[in-house]
Amino acid sequence: MKPVNQAPNSTTTMSIAASALKAQQARMRIVAENIANADSIGNGPGSDPYRRQVPVFRAATVDGATGVKLAEIRKDPKPFGEEFDPSSPAANAEGYVKKPNVEMLTETMDMREAQRAYEANLNVVETARAMTSRTLDILRK
Amino acid sequence: MNVDDVGLFSALKARMGWLSQRQKVVAENVANASTPGFKPKDLKTQDFASMMQGNAPSEGIGLSVTRAGHISTESPGQTKVRAVKSPDSETTLDGNSVVLEEQMIKMADSRMQFEAAIGFYQKSMDMLRTASKLPGR
Repeated sequence: MKPVNQAPNSTTTMSIAASALKAQQARMRIVAENIANADSIGNGPGSDPYRRQVPVFRAATVDGATGVKLAEIRKDPKPFGEEFDPSSPAANAEGYVKKPNVEMLTETMDMREAQRAYEANLNVVETARAMTSRTLDILRK
Repeated sequence: MNVDDVGLFSALKARMGWLSQRQKVVAENVANASTPGFKPKDLKTQDFASMMQGNAPSEGIGLSVTRAGHISTESPGQTKVRAVKSPDSETTLDGNSVVLEEQMIKMADSRMQFEAAIGFYQKSMDMLRTASKLPGR
């Protein structure tokens, strides 16, 4: 990293945290989509059901500093599960239905992690704000 | 008189600049807590000895020079703050070595140090004010 020759203002710190808040928010949205579609089967007989989505984060420049962004949303290549249910509209000739490759446990863990990261970033915003307001306190005397 | 001419004030200014710079670095680390392959950074600690000899780096709090005609407010020979890689205690499978708890501790630490610096600044200002008052008032 090149030498830093400018003191950051608190808005830089805050916009870094804000970029992360946005990214974690998007991650929560993807987790919600996955959980909502945990039972979504395909349209016709033998067709593929909902495929789990995976958020990919990458470091990105925000205000001249390193923030983060949701770079892409990938499809989870994990194979689908199968269940014997001949009455389902998506059942194939043998009576098996393909089930989405969403695992509740994984999604719940992912959600917790997103929540924790979100809280951490909120803490950063709060601390940056407190530090700035303490500096401004000098002016009040 | 320039307040910066007082050693304590310039040291405090450098300290506060360093701390807000560090806050920015911690913010970057926390923001990238789930980015695969990200290695957290931290600032090199301030050199107390060189600060005592009166050549504390001012961390470039002066005006930035954007044109050739501008006069630089930074004196030559100043050392700049550098962010160096400092991985936390754990690395996950995706190569990320940010541990949120450790970053939170760093952040709380910077904040406390900042409060201390502000406190020192205000007390020293009060001392200056006391000194500039007429006696007996």
